[in-house]
Amino acid sequence: MDEPVTASVKRSIAKLPVAAAIVALIGLADAVYLTAHHYNVEPVPCGAAFDCEMVLTSPFATLGGIINWFGPETMAPTGSVSDIPLAAFGAAAYFVAFALATFTAFGDRRMWKLFGAQVALMAAFSGWLIYVQAALIGAYCQFCLISAATTFTLFIIFVISLFIRPKTT
Amino acid sequence: MNNTKNVPEKKSNTPILIIGVVLVMALLAGWYLLSSPKTASNTNTNTAKANTANTGKQTTIPANAPLGANPPNQQGSPTALVTLEEFADFQCPQCGVVHPIMNEIKSTYGSRIRFIFRNLPLTMHDKSYDAAVAAEAAGMQGPNKFWEMQNLLFVNQKAWTADPNYRAVWKDYAQKIGLDVAKWENDMAGIAAKSRVDEDLRRSKGLGVASTPTLYINGVDVPFQQMNVASLKQLIDAELAKAAPQNQAAPAAPANAGNTNK
Repeated sequence: MDEPVTASVKRSIAKLPVAAAIVALIGLADAVYLTAHHYNVEPVPCGAAFDCEMVLTSPFATLGGIINWFGPETMAPTGSVSDIPLAAFGAAAYFVAFALATFTAFGDRRMWKLFGAQVALMAAFSGWLIYVQAALIGAYCQFCLISAATTFTLFIIFVISLFIRPKTT
Repeated sequence: MNNTKNVPEKKSNTPILIIGVVLVMALLAGWYLLSSPKTASNTNTNTAKANTANTGKQTTIPANAPLGANPPNQQGSPTALVTLEEFADFQCPQCGVVHPIMNEIKSTYGSRIRFIFRNLPLTMHDKSYDAAVAAEAAGMQGPNKFWEMQNLLFVNQKAWTADPNYRAVWKDYAQKIGLDVAKWENDMAGIAAKSRVDEDLRRSKGLGVASTPTLYINGVDVPFQQMNVASLKQLIDAELAKAAPQNQAAPAAPANAGNTNK
């Protein structure tokens, strides 16, 4: 990192975190929208090929539902911590990803590694959520797929960044 | 910006500023989305529903609608002046939320209302059709058994929904409410319980009810936002008041319904 890098390579590196920050913003908007939906119980507009309510009201849409799925049964009254929608965690994750990408774009390269670790975890979880929609719920919601797409995009951006490392002279 | 030197000292505050602005915007957007549907029109259908309930009978039940399971699962008095008809799915979380509200309404009004429960297992919920059949099969050992099973299914909704061995869980419920478990299992496999669920489904299809929970009070669709104790009481009281001058001869309320005779 101490070595000087050529201006063009440096510019292409700087572009990736900016792109990542923008993509993370899309994910953040999507997740905020879904979180609000969860609490005001408004049906979301849903395309004909999707069944958003099915997905968003499934047990997999909340923290408690996920915990129940993996662990011992715990009765979760609505309004409790268990009722926190996954979308809220998504929103937090996108926000952190955005912050890390922004710090990177402004020169703090260490943040990019954290970003990479975070989006790798997010991508893995998104993959699982797609499996849940396909295999366990049998329905999709486009807002969930948008979220998965943004997460995968973030991950791909990070992977690309690994391949265009600055060449040391 | 392109002149970023390799010397990392003197960090600018710009990223923190940008991140702060985004955080504030995200929080504001969330807050706006949360509060807007009650005031503004977020989705046309819901405002239409709300208007209907406030202004008059538009989404009423047509006379030629399929009747549903007969006799229906009902509580209160069959001759009451106010009829509540709920369409619910045992796996739908909002139905689980509305369940205790309905219980409170039922205990408040007793025989001054007629409460009908319709099964509307949504096709994509993997266990809700079976759950509806399980409740109907319980009901074949007495109407009270239906309601006891219905209650257990809603109260423990999250537990059995997430349990691959949900049938074993239901069996525990059947034992708990004192069913003849062998007969109950037999009835679950039989045609009669299923056809009751199917008849309820035909009714919801005929009425165009596609989401749960859906509630009609004297045939008028109640928007989900009003499915709380206070709003429902208002609606029911209004219906009771409407009917009262013509017909005072409502059946006497049971003991637990006596405290709201305003």
